Amino acid sequence: MRNLRYLLYIAILIVLITLPLYTGVYLLNVTDIILIYLALALSWDILLRSGQISFGMAGLFGVGGYAAGLIHLNAGVNPLISIVMGGLAAGLLAWLIGMAVLQLRGMYFAIVTLALAEIFRVIVRNLPDLTGGPEGTVLPSAIFAGNSTKTYWLVLVVALVSVIASEIFRRTRIHFALTSIRNDEVVAKSSGIDVFKYLVFIFVVTSAIQGLTGGAYAHIYGFVSPEGSFSIDFTLLPIAMALLGGMHSTWGPVVGAVVLGVISEFLKLKIPYGHLLVYGLIIVIAILFFPQGIVGTIGQKLKKAHRA
Amino acid sequence: MPFLKTENLTRHFGGIAALNHVSMEFREHEILGIIGPNGAGKTTFINVIAGIYLPTEGKMYFNGQNISDLPAHKRCRLGIARTFQLVRPLQGLSLLENVMVGSLFGKGFGQREAREKAIALCEFLELSDISRDITRMTALEIKKMEIAHALATQPKLLFLDEVMAGLNSDETMEMIALVRRIHSRGITIGIVEHVMRVIKELTHRVVVLDWGEVIAEGPYEEVSNDPMVITAYLGEEA
Amino acid sequence: MNPFSKLKQSNYQIVIISLVLAIILALWKPHVLVEGLQRACLYAVIALPMALILGIVGIINLAHGDFMMLGAYFAYFLNVYTGIDPLVAIFPALAAFFLIGMVSYRAIIKYVLGAPELNQLLLTFGLAMVMEQLANLIWTSRPIKLPLPYVSASATIGSFTFGTFEFVYVGAVIIVLSGLLLFLKRTGTGQAALAVGQNPRGAKLVGIHVDRTYLFIFSLSIALVGAIGAIFMTRHSIFPLVGAPFTMKSFCLIAMAGIGNLMGILWCSLILGLAENFVLSFRGYAGWADILFFALIVLVIMVRSHQRQVK
Repeated sequence: MRNLRYLLYIAILIVLITLPLYTGVYLLNVTDIILIYLALALSWDILLRSGQISFGMAGLFGVGGYAAGLIHLNAGVNPLISIVMGGLAAGLLAWLIGMAVLQLRGMYFAIVTLALAEIFRVIVRNLPDLTGGPEGTVLPSAIFAGNSTKTYWLVLVVALVSVIASEIFRRTRIHFALTSIRNDEVVAKSSGIDVFKYLVFIFVVTSAIQGLTGGAYAHIYGFVSPEGSFSIDFTLLPIAMALLGGMHSTWGPVVGAVVLGVISEFLKLKIPYGHLLVYGLIIVIAILFFPQGIVGTIGQKLKKAHRA
Repeated sequence: MPFLKTENLTRHFGGIAALNHVSMEFREHEILGIIGPNGAGKTTFINVIAGIYLPTEGKMYFNGQNISDLPAHKRCRLGIARTFQLVRPLQGLSLLENVMVGSLFGKGFGQREAREKAIALCEFLELSDISRDITRMTALEIKKMEIAHALATQPKLLFLDEVMAGLNSDETMEMIALVRRIHSRGITIGIVEHVMRVIKELTHRVVVLDWGEVIAEGPYEEVSNDPMVITAYLGEEA
Repeated sequence: MNPFSKLKQSNYQIVIISLVLAIILALWKPHVLVEGLQRACLYAVIALPMALILGIVGIINLAHGDFMMLGAYFAYFLNVYTGIDPLVAIFPALAAFFLIGMVSYRAIIKYVLGAPELNQLLLTFGLAMVMEQLANLIWTSRPIKLPLPYVSASATIGSFTFGTFEFVYVGAVIIVLSGLLLFLKRTGTGQAALAVGQNPRGAKLVGIHVDRTYLFIFSLSIALVGAIGAIFMTRHSIFPLVGAPFTMKSFCLIAMAGIGNLMGILWCSLILGLAENFVLSFRGYAGWADILFFALIVLVIMVRSHQRQVK
């Protein structure tokens, strides 16, 4: 039974890798965006499993983008390496913030992350010599000279990194640590778990993924700017996706990303302006009426049917 | 060298001293009863020793080592474990997995070993159907799971906080036998209880707390006849 | 008691140091003193209703600033359609937003009271997004302003000219703060609310109607913040995202002062308002003023977590 599942995963992987062979450029670009949001949604969910909410994804995403773009531009570093460095930069930043702020968690941490995007946007805007100021900076060229197949593979790798991270955190002892911490920190501590260390670790890893994604995004579009790189989209959508698909799982955010990604493409065609509103509504409705999300609700129904 | 020693242990909440200069000792391999009226500070005592609260004053020594500033998770790894008065099972994990948390992090076993040790512990405590969801367990089973969880960290000193609460007399007898079995494995036990029968049967010595202070200490027979203790309980009978 | 022994107490030291700093500012950068004071009171009066909800109902309303934004738009359209001055619109705003608060509580907030903090944060976050985007859709992001003659009132002391209308914020915070303190400490309902905030179960046991208390306090908070929006409308141009920064700043103030410390919010606002204006007064560094609140909240959190004796 298990082997069948692995076969299925490998099949999906092959389909994904060979996608460019039978899809047009438009669909590939749409998939690129979905994969980017998927990575963000998963990284948000991983942190959520520890009981902490981050509203600062756009901030770390943008930091990764700027770091990757500027390192490439000013130091001539290879774009792929600069993307990795974007991830590292975001991770380092998260380490500093986490060490300072994760001692008081919950809403204190959440509110601080809420300000992150704004803070970084302000910093970036006020260092025009380094960052190009309010207008942003254009990179010499988009990565791979805009080749849509290679671009797709880059994004696919980034998405796979987040999937692998999510699965590692679900199958190793980290899953137990996160679940304990989320449920009851006192019990976790009494079981020998160093709560603070785990929280900082998870925050750093998920932020690094966000930075990595941001770096990829920056190179794909060849452009970084305060408004574009730190857009609220990069916080709002991933949260909506993870909630819609189902928290605390790998499949949940994946399903949410695909569903919402497809819907948002339609939305953009039909109503050019209202889509952020829809995402906000999805969050509200999901929290109120089905906090388990699609995957969670289906899972529950299956369990009930199984028992009956 | 005493097993666990507290010196003038004090803990304030706001202006109130929940623990007031508590100096006492645990002897290795004993079962020590910790009793006192409601609000005497018994659970606070456990919380301070386990590291959930830092003391406002005073020190604690475990096997000679000063643990007063050690964070809770390090104390767990040194071998101090406890159960909780209001049970706190971890949602999202099965019965077995709840126990595994203890063996994974208490001593840092790998997943496979931790699982085996957890299974063995569940057997030892006569818990069956261990992969089940924790939402469908009886009161006795939940308490046993809590104890298994604590035992999974391989403690040298185990605090049982009112484990008998809510059990009928058959279940209480089962639990008493269980505590004896745990004790026979070489674990020193501190047991907080209101049910005096249990204290009488299980403990070698008793410490009585009232308003955060130690008012009596000694074997149960002595302590239960101490007029100060009787006054403190004011009409509560064993 | 020797009068000099009072000088040694830290409270008095702080008062004296503040007075000295104030005098220095008055001579060096009087603009900062006056405008910082006015701005501080604006921050304080917006933060107070949020503190009320956080302390008594126990939830953090990430849509707080957006209710203020709605209040501003309310006052604007009331003026456009009926000619009512926004300052007068405070009263209909109080009524309207009390109702809006009641509806919000019953329809939405009530559901997450028992849920983990996570859900509350996410829900109010989603709510904030919905409100901002709805406003954006209906009224576009174009800033709008009312040309009111009295807002440019000013006074002159020596060679120093300053706006006097903005003292309305000072007046507002005095009224709201003293009103709230009186209400909470001297009235039955207020004392019941305090009890609920400290221990909802205990309060229920003595017969206090917890749900009704939550409903009232929540609606009161929304009413206040909506009315403040009306005042805000007079002096500033408004747009859908105008309220959002105030949510963050309000939380910073509450975190600094400590939950439940209403007076403290005023003092912390003074510090922050003056500091912000101080930074703004240096050309070239003005862009960094926004980060001040953020830097301060991180600092407060770091200090608090080190102060903690409880792990």
